[in-house]
Amino acid sequence: MKKIILMICLSIFINEIKAQSQQGNMLIKNGTVLTVTKGTLEATDVLVRNGKIAQIGKNISAPSGFSVVDATGMFVMPGIIDAHSHAGIDAINEATSPVTSEVFTGDAINPFQMSLYRALAGGVTTIHAMHGSANAIGGQCETLKLRYGVKDPEQLRMEGAPRTIKFALGENPTRVHGGSGIVPRTRMGVEFVIRQAFSQAKEYMTQWDNYNKQKQQKGFRGMPPAYNARLETLAEILKGNIWIHCHSYRADELQMLLKVCKDFGIKKIVFQHVNEGFKVAPELAAYGAMASVFSDWWAYKLEVYYSTAYNAAILTKNGVVTSINSDDAELMRHLYHEAAKTQKYGALTDEEALSLITINPAKQLGIDNRVGSIEVGKEADIAIFNNHPLSIYTVPMMTIVDGVVRFDREKDPADMRIYVDPKQDLDAVSLQEDYQVDRCMEGAEFMFENIFGANLEE
Amino acid sequence: MVLFTMLFAGFAEAQFQQSQPEPKELSPVSRTYAITNATIFQAPGRKIDRGTIVLKDGLITSVGKNVSIPPDAIVIKGDSLHIYAGFIDGLSHAGVTKPKDESNRERPKDPGNPSPEIAGITPYQDVRTSLNPTDKSVEDLRAAGFTVTQVIPYGGMLPGTGAIISLTGKTADEMILAGKSVFYSELAPAQRVYPSTVIGVMAKWREMYRQATLAKNYETLYASNKAGLNRPASDRSLEAFYPVIDKKLPVLFEADKYLDIQRVLALQADFGFSVIVGDVKEGWDAIDKLKAAGAKVFLSLELPEEKKDKKDDKNPPKKEEPKKDDSAKADPEKEALEKRKAESIKQYIGQAATFKKAGIPFGFSTLTVKTSDIQSNLRKMIASGLTEDDALAALTTSPAQLLGLSDRLGSVDQGKIANLVISDKPYFNEKAKVRYVFVDGLMYKYDPKEQPKTDVPAGINITGTWTVTTQTAAQKQEEKVTFTKEGNTYSGSITGAGMSQAVALEGIELTGNKLKYSYTTQAEGQSLKVNVEATIAGNTFKGTSSAGSSTSFSIEGKKDPKR
Amino acid sequence: MKILQYRFLTVLLLLCAGTTYPQNPKAKFGTYALTNASIETITKGVINNGTVVISNGKIAAVGTNVQIPQGAEVIDCKGKWIYPGMIDGGTKAGLFEFGQVAQANDVTELGDVIPQMKALTAINPNSAGIPITRISGVTTTLTVPGGELFAGTAALVNLHGYTPDQMAVGFQAVVLNYPRTGRRGFFDRRTDEEIKKATDKAIQRVNEVWDKAVEYHKLDSATKGKMQYYPEMQALLPVVRGEMTLIIDVDAAKDIQAAIKWVGEKKIKKVILSGVAEGWRVADEIAKANIPVIAGPVLSLPTRDYDKYDRPYSNPGSLRKAGVKVAIKTEDDNVNYRNLPYHAGFAAAYGMGREEALRAVTIVPAEIFGVADRLGSIEQGKSATLFVCDGDPFETKTQVSNVFIDGWNIPMVSRQTLLYDEFLNREPGLTKEK
Repeated sequence: MKKIILMICLSIFINEIKAQSQQGNMLIKNGTVLTVTKGTLEATDVLVRNGKIAQIGKNISAPSGFSVVDATGMFVMPGIIDAHSHAGIDAINEATSPVTSEVFTGDAINPFQMSLYRALAGGVTTIHAMHGSANAIGGQCETLKLRYGVKDPEQLRMEGAPRTIKFALGENPTRVHGGSGIVPRTRMGVEFVIRQAFSQAKEYMTQWDNYNKQKQQKGFRGMPPAYNARLETLAEILKGNIWIHCHSYRADELQMLLKVCKDFGIKKIVFQHVNEGFKVAPELAAYGAMASVFSDWWAYKLEVYYSTAYNAAILTKNGVVTSINSDDAELMRHLYHEAAKTQKYGALTDEEALSLITINPAKQLGIDNRVGSIEVGKEADIAIFNNHPLSIYTVPMMTIVDGVVRFDREKDPADMRIYVDPKQDLDAVSLQEDYQVDRCMEGAEFMFENIFGANLEE
Repeated sequence: MVLFTMLFAGFAEAQFQQSQPEPKELSPVSRTYAITNATIFQAPGRKIDRGTIVLKDGLITSVGKNVSIPPDAIVIKGDSLHIYAGFIDGLSHAGVTKPKDESNRERPKDPGNPSPEIAGITPYQDVRTSLNPTDKSVEDLRAAGFTVTQVIPYGGMLPGTGAIISLTGKTADEMILAGKSVFYSELAPAQRVYPSTVIGVMAKWREMYRQATLAKNYETLYASNKAGLNRPASDRSLEAFYPVIDKKLPVLFEADKYLDIQRVLALQADFGFSVIVGDVKEGWDAIDKLKAAGAKVFLSLELPEEKKDKKDDKNPPKKEEPKKDDSAKADPEKEALEKRKAESIKQYIGQAATFKKAGIPFGFSTLTVKTSDIQSNLRKMIASGLTEDDALAALTTSPAQLLGLSDRLGSVDQGKIANLVISDKPYFNEKAKVRYVFVDGLMYKYDPKEQPKTDVPAGINITGTWTVTTQTAAQKQEEKVTFTKEGNTYSGSITGAGMSQAVALEGIELTGNKLKYSYTTQAEGQSLKVNVEATIAGNTFKGTSSAGSSTSFSIEGKKDPKR
Repeated sequence: MKILQYRFLTVLLLLCAGTTYPQNPKAKFGTYALTNASIETITKGVINNGTVVISNGKIAAVGTNVQIPQGAEVIDCKGKWIYPGMIDGGTKAGLFEFGQVAQANDVTELGDVIPQMKALTAINPNSAGIPITRISGVTTTLTVPGGELFAGTAALVNLHGYTPDQMAVGFQAVVLNYPRTGRRGFFDRRTDEEIKKATDKAIQRVNEVWDKAVEYHKLDSATKGKMQYYPEMQALLPVVRGEMTLIIDVDAAKDIQAAIKWVGEKKIKKVILSGVAEGWRVADEIAKANIPVIAGPVLSLPTRDYDKYDRPYSNPGSLRKAGVKVAIKTEDDNVNYRNLPYHAGFAAAYGMGREEALRAVTIVPAEIFGVADRLGSIEQGKSATLFVCDGDPFETKTQVSNVFIDGWNIPMVSRQTLLYDEFLNREPGLTKEK
């Protein structure tokens, strides 16, 4: 019986330890360090202190208490950043209205989703957990760090990352809303919806500015303007406090949004998917708009039929800051391989290819001063591979977030669930085909059932 | 079964069946009762053996050892009875009429701008308007020992205000102990219209709160001097927020899952309103945050089912059929998964004990539990580390306090409302049956049901002495367990290493070929309750022995040959 | 960069020839000598500094000491590798043009017992996906119709030709999508009972069909082929008689076991299991039954949340190690059959090894489809269906420079390369001179 008590005590003790601090110390020894921004450093050590990269160099000795990771023969690169994901959130599409700028995916963070761990096991450390693409102006998105293992959703947020919002052009918003008899039904309507929203937000801003100004005056008595969370958010976009990430495909609609942004003085704009971005690369580059693309996805609907896998290369070579994203729980597991495809389709250099999944998406999320490369002072988000990450034969071995090992191929058990559903049917099997709904349109499907009487695929 | 039949039962039907009126229920001859010579649990930690209680006109007029019995009292001999304060439930729909399910209604024309009702935004509603005292749920909950519950309306994200009711009364108004007790909310999306997702609900919640704050301020301004000001627009929904903003009315959220609790607390952190989190099923990891938010908590009485072979449940094996699939192939992967599942279930069952340990006062809620499971679920919680006193507190004194009713309810004391639950054995005993429930001094009597004969297959006889081997991580340990049988009840004892003397077994239960028992042992000055569950096959059994919520070992028993 | 120059040249040549841009150039048939190459024969090791002679659509000679026929066009493959064309064991090539528009695809016919629906009938030889696939070295695909139960008849096609018949390799197989029993993940809200009911019903249906087919076969034999028109049964006849393969698409471990048992009970002679996502759970049983598999997609998600994250990657290797004959398929939904080498590459990296993975996209599928006499390796007498590349074909950055299908020298362009050529340096650029 003593044994039993001891074991109970022990298990409590272990649970306490698990709630460890989120900033680690470690020394990564003797790896080939792909800094992305400062070249490749052979046989180099990376010292991590309090979750930050403290030193990069040769023959660094580990301060006492620092764990040491032997990276001899391994490749050490910055943690991969996925600028387009829907993982880690329980709600994706508030598809009931063409404009839903007030909603925020960060309100529905789910740290238990297995897709987060699976992404970590593919070297990913940061994701942009986006609202879906059902609406011309969708919801605000959250940037998450894959600190898999924590339970508190707050701890998944990348605090201080700029606010972002999802926009969507083309087929998705026109089908979801146009199909129910609500503008937009065409790309003309999409432009109108966005211009209308911004115009209303401008008026709203003016009303509040006037009210707040008058309130300063002594003895002012008056009715405040009606508070509107939707317009409030749109006003923040106009003020430059929220970056637009716009789901888009066709060249014409890209130009449309550029013109809208110009008219309303909006500078921060990242196009997502942007399969026809290559057609208007000079325009995107001139505006300073960025592009986050698939490596080779096409043909899943008409507006991506005229795509090319050379998209990322054309954009890059035309000076557009480009990233490669997943938008998909499966693709998210091998973004390093997706980046490598730009070497087949467009012969990008290793550094250019790696930039597509590290520093470039960091720029698109406004976090390039913190992550996206291996530099002293940056957050220690690091992925270690047993081969060059652009090689097909590479295997991600370890993924580190803020200096804490969150994935370890050698040590992690197979079953990595944090919470175990007591009602789970252990024999349930989900196949690839079950996942094959466009995550971007998740939550919008019921709208389609109404319209077409069928489930929406892709 | 129920002495006091509801007069309103079948009221609607009666209109169509005038030829056959319901037989009229006779009222009791007196509203004074005396229960004599009973074991009275006045409150956790306060017990009177062989005491008497007198109830008069709905109040407890005296409690104690030497109480004089008024001449008009109906006397109940309580020699074998155990009396507790009537249980108080933090959250339920008891007696609340469920609106018609309209999920199949036509597609809305403009899903982005639904009417507030379709959107689930009706905070101005009052649950009192949808109370039906004759609803069967009232009777069911009362039969389980509950006398008071906080009811909430059905609906979407903002269904309306709740009320605290007595589980008795002929009309809705008669039931009310406190109206508008809480501002009720769920993070429940609307169907096919805005807000259709949890993120929509959160956004709408914040927007309404901010709008209400502005509207309230403006109303104050307007009230102070109306000249030169536009009159404020009237908005029932926003007005419903005003007492919340003033912290006069707490917001009660139903939030069973861990992430729901987190989301509720995120909203609370934004605005600082008083919050109650109800029907919590997965709250153990949110304890620190709940504490920090000063949240009041009602834990769900619903528990996940423990792993049992479902086939066995429905059709107990008639004879000793060695189960082929179990013994033939040991699947280590499956075993590990089942083990994790069992560990997970233990966390749910141990939740109440965990909260107790963390020092958070809590009550229970019956919102989603089947009333027939309540007693056994409480026993499971007690087996997982909650003391009987803690459980009693969570059913009586704590909810009384959380609901602000301590001056009237929660204990068996003179002057309090005559709400009692009376059982034939101590309530938390395996075989305890509720025999009487008093609500507002009205008696509901429950006849003990015929004991269902336990269907013990032929060939199973546990009486005798067994050698039980426990396989711990490090070693094997042997104990001797002896069972004896008197009539239909078993008793027994255990001896073994580390036990200075034989320890009596508790709660021995033999159903089919399933054997359960528990015992309490002392080690290093601490007592530890060990629960054993086993499946018998002839003269052997296999099962698990568990202590606390986190540890379990496999055990094997073998019957010693008769000497 | 070489490949770019080559493509540039092609475009230039086209323009010079006065062809309307950007019309696809045509494939050429002739005699070719691919010289100075490293030749991965698959079946007979690697030949360094060797030559492959292509003539009359066949591989006329392979080796280091090969006479180059007169008039042969010599392609210097110095520093390059030659591989047999890769075979994707499961695609919708030619049936699926693009998604979300029903009219743009012919994948799934109505009905659950329609073995008479032939994929080959509906394969569009001019599908945009075909050049996109073949210039990556994937020369051959099994095109599989979708649907329930007996969904139709799949066809093996080479990705060049102007009619389905010109593309057909010859192998066809009836496809059975074995009923998915059990729960389909957390989103499956059916009760245990409903699931069991659905399962029993589906299995009963499969048995009913098969038993009918056997009966039809007996009567057909007895009447010497004079039975009444019954297209479903007629399509199943060769399968019953062991003349045609039955491809059973099945993924869950329990379903694989059930399918193996079913095949045994019904004594079905030619069977391939396809998909087998949970094959690793029952690899020994598949090996014991001696049934080959087409595993894939490899780049997919684990089937259960508690499974190790890399199970889909390691599945082909696990199966191979157990002794199962393994081919690989992409089963890609978005016409990316060109990623076959990457599916194989992941399998290679996660336990299968490069050599076995290479076999799994060449000789093994050729064998299990019964076309190893023509495809799957670089051997004299086999069909000249091969490609030339500048490195390991699984490596992502490797460039394929030449593709031959049935001896036809395939133009190395697709809509995607043409778009690259047109838009890399777009003219007019930012401003248009008017």
